[in-house]
Amino acid sequence: MTDTLAAKPSPTVTEKPEGYGLRPRRERKGETLVPWVLMTPTLVLLALMTIMPTIYLLRASVRNDTLLNTNGRFVGLANYSNALTDPTFWHSLLITIGFVVVAVALEMLLGMALSLPLAGERLSSTWGTTLLLLPFAITPVVSAMIFKELLNPNYGWVDYYLGQLGLPAHIEWLSHPTTAWIALIGLDVWQWTPFVALILIAGLQSLPGEPREAAAIDGASTWQMFWHVTLPQLKPFIAIALVLRTIQAFKTFDYFKVMTGGGPGDSTEILNLAIYRIALQSFRIGAAAAIAILLLILLSLLVPALLRGVGRNADPEEA
Amino acid sequence: MTDTSISRRGFLGAALALSAAAATGCTPGVKGASSSGASVDANASKPAQLHMLYATAEANSAAVQALLPAFKDKFGIELVMDTQPYDALQQKVFSEFASQSTYYDIVIVDTPWAPALVAQLEPLSQHIGNSALNDMADVDVKDFIPKVFYDTAVYNAGDPIKHFPDEASPADVAAITGAGFDIYGLPLQANAQIMAYRKDLFTDSGELAGFKSKTGKDLAVPKTWDEFVTVSQYFTRPDKKLYGTTVMAGVGDWATDDFKSMLAAYGGQGRLIGDDLSLAFKSPEGTAALQRYVDLINKYKVTPPGSTAASWDEAASLFDSGTTALTMNYHALELDDAVKGEIGYAVVPQEKTRGPHFGTWMLSVNKYGGNRAWAYRAITWLTASQQQLTMTGKQLHPSRTSVYKQVTSAQNKSEAEFYRVLGDSLAVGVGRARLTNYTEVSAAIAKAVNSAATGSAAPDAALNTAADQVRKLLTDAGYKVPG
Amino acid sequence: MATVTAAPVTTPPSVRKGPRAKPLPVIGRIAVWIYLLLCMVPLVFMVATSFKPSGIAKQLPPAWIFKPTFSHYVQVLQGGSGTSVGFDRLLFNSAAVTIGSTLLTIALAVPAAYALSLRAFRPRKGLSSWILSTYMFPPIVAVIPIFIYAGKLGLIDTYPVLIVPYAAFNLPIAVWILRSSILQIPYEIQESAMVDGASRWMVLRKIILPLLTPSIATVAILSAILSWNEFLFALSLTRAAAKTAPVGIQEFTGMFGTDWGNLTAAATIIAAPIVIMTLILRRRIVSGMTFGAVK
Repeated sequence: MTDTLAAKPSPTVTEKPEGYGLRPRRERKGETLVPWVLMTPTLVLLALMTIMPTIYLLRASVRNDTLLNTNGRFVGLANYSNALTDPTFWHSLLITIGFVVVAVALEMLLGMALSLPLAGERLSSTWGTTLLLLPFAITPVVSAMIFKELLNPNYGWVDYYLGQLGLPAHIEWLSHPTTAWIALIGLDVWQWTPFVALILIAGLQSLPGEPREAAAIDGASTWQMFWHVTLPQLKPFIAIALVLRTIQAFKTFDYFKVMTGGGPGDSTEILNLAIYRIALQSFRIGAAAAIAILLLILLSLLVPALLRGVGRNADPEEA
Repeated sequence: MTDTSISRRGFLGAALALSAAAATGCTPGVKGASSSGASVDANASKPAQLHMLYATAEANSAAVQALLPAFKDKFGIELVMDTQPYDALQQKVFSEFASQSTYYDIVIVDTPWAPALVAQLEPLSQHIGNSALNDMADVDVKDFIPKVFYDTAVYNAGDPIKHFPDEASPADVAAITGAGFDIYGLPLQANAQIMAYRKDLFTDSGELAGFKSKTGKDLAVPKTWDEFVTVSQYFTRPDKKLYGTTVMAGVGDWATDDFKSMLAAYGGQGRLIGDDLSLAFKSPEGTAALQRYVDLINKYKVTPPGSTAASWDEAASLFDSGTTALTMNYHALELDDAVKGEIGYAVVPQEKTRGPHFGTWMLSVNKYGGNRAWAYRAITWLTASQQQLTMTGKQLHPSRTSVYKQVTSAQNKSEAEFYRVLGDSLAVGVGRARLTNYTEVSAAIAKAVNSAATGSAAPDAALNTAADQVRKLLTDAGYKVPG
Repeated sequence: MATVTAAPVTTPPSVRKGPRAKPLPVIGRIAVWIYLLLCMVPLVFMVATSFKPSGIAKQLPPAWIFKPTFSHYVQVLQGGSGTSVGFDRLLFNSAAVTIGSTLLTIALAVPAAYALSLRAFRPRKGLSSWILSTYMFPPIVAVIPIFIYAGKLGLIDTYPVLIVPYAAFNLPIAVWILRSSILQIPYEIQESAMVDGASRWMVLRKIILPLLTPSIATVAILSAILSWNEFLFALSLTRAAAKTAPVGIQEFTGMFGTDWGNLTAAATIIAAPIVIMTLILRRRIVSGMTFGAVK
């Protein structure tokens, strides 16, 4: 029976929604304008908020202005070469990438695991989803402070209850790189898994029921149902959650500032901390802009790769 | 949901209007921008409100807020205070000045920011000499503690990193302007590193006896670092959740402050960077000081767990909750109710000498503001002797010699002791180097302190790494580092 | 092989909603609830501490039996003791900005998502990518030019100066989620409507929108939470009149001994509206019409 399912994908299981491949024979001339009209407000708003800052940043990155003193000169690519030849830049970049990979992977897995049972319509799902969302609702800086307090080796709850349970206690969480990373990744996962789960729940809600019904008639097990039917249909939403969460993870800042300040040593000095220090404490706009643009370039290479990695079918319109 | 078409058009219109305005660059103009070069008119009309940007607990905003009703009575102006904690405040201060905004008339400035901000602050030397502007309070610059005044408020606009040559004599406007400097604010909250201890533990007969039998000496408040170590070791009882002292070895400029005080105690350059921009912290004294500091954590083990991630907050909490017998801090502390104890204060211990870190906040006038005359009058009143004395009721740290004289003979003995110690500490205090990128330099040094404290680098190696980083930072910022 | 009751061809609505045929094993559900309850620990700490009298906040073992007090909440809402603005005003500002930006986001994202789903619209791939690329912009450096230009336009400390950037932040998320949801709707529905003479506008309003309700609710929750808790832009672009709650709560994070009672009370006050909104919108997320009915 399992072979039947794998060998004969019924037309309704395909990821490509039907009908979107039909040639629009009936389009009237004026119809081609409609999408543009629908898009214009969005495009205007986004252009307003990004084109001007981009121009400003590009200009700033080739000068050595500080925020207050505009006597800076054109310095060509000096800011870029300074950043790229600075070992601390590469160190920060590497640990940022490491953080993003681990945290996002955990959040995707946990988010998936949580979304399946909570997508149903039972009463327990309503409460479950509310509980799920609560960590996401707490202001990030406050979350970081609470975690720091809970992990305090002198009067934190974690230390106390670990001791009560007989587990190793008196861990100085933020004083050692490994445990500091565990704490930071734990905080990120705690707060952002709900984001992923909610997107996947939205996806599960909008899936058509026929394929599942057909598979059930064919006698598929829960796992087969999930792997061969649900998961492929969910791919667009998985892609969204993955891409958005990755971009957000690169922008993480508050947790690191509050919990470790980049320490111990510089083991948690992610790129954003350096940008913050340079941009909003020393106000060397030129140097900060160069690093920000390098980060932008990295992301614009990474994101399409991610989308392709999720599968050719991440975008429902791709053939 | 079918109403979205209406709201969509509405917002579309707003968005288009906004983008059109931005594109054509038509600006309603910054409100009431007065040219900053024009002289301040003493007869300017009284505004209904003055806006002040202030810190929170770092500069004791509660004390100033308590004065606001009296201000209104005296001036007939409402002083509106916006408060922000340190990092947010710094960001706000700089962004306001960067856009040359006229909104805040009075801005609080912390010493490390001043070199970068000098060009945006109103120079006050002329106003101090103008009797028409000093009708609300007596500015009496001679009364400010000289060291505090020069370190905080006196800068050379052409070369902001220079220090005024004579930092000992009382401030004199003519001497200051004669040397090419000017006054850019009036100091208000003067913080210095002082040592606090549990007086009840130090006077308890059981402890006195125990200490005598263990070490053969009398238990007393430590005056040298060796004594400090001995006393801390005596009071370190992990099983009873009691430790000798706190240290702030987390990554942040609190660690730099701890280190620079120790460096000065060992005879090094407490400012970390010499006046000639030499990397003075990288020296035998620096290594010895850092070694002593990390020994407290790793060799003598007199600090509570988590000290290598601790900052101001943790240090204060640990002492307040009775977890340590001693602490170094910058504020008056308050023990929790559960801890039945008493706090005593003393000047920090010495090695070869003493050089506790000190830093002061000043009230400055926004050069772009529209009410500079009244802003000046306001800050003279707020920092005047009488007002500072009133604010000591809320534990303000005064900046005037006359206020210290009065407050150290007050009835409340523990308060008098605190102010006496604070005054003595300010007298020997060492400020910071003047750099436009002090924050980054401080961060590099803090990392070195933290690395040494966690044991991941020897003090010498850690300071070497920091020296390389600081050299690069200073060069990138346009300074010429010797050697 | 378990026999599944043959469902009729006209699919009853319940089949759409998740794999109901075989409910998750009990162990799976227990694991989910264990995770959810573990995640509640920091929240329990937050709420409990907000009611504890100041002295016992740091007690070990943690005090579970104590006399609860509202003093922290009163202090937070009224202002004073070092903070400049009472929280009631800040919450109002936060609400205004959040509601404004969320409505703006949805109003713009729904049409845009629909446009991006039309095969005939050739630039749609490029535009989708561009929209996503705007999301990559690091806010820390973006805030500086926006502050400068907003200052020149005299817009600092107003509601629109926050509503517009927040909508820009959330639009990429909204557009992408809504677009994927629209693409799940079988095209025949649109086609048959257009055969009946409906224009694209009517298709959007009468057919797509009702089916999108769960996704719109999801987008609303996500946008609202992200706007509600945003700090960097709120700090830079407001002074007193439009100051929002996350900026205000920073004032409780003292350098010299945090007042945990006040801080947690403020944090709970900030989180409460989100919780209420989630409860209201949660029913919207699950309700939703079935596609089967169209058959």
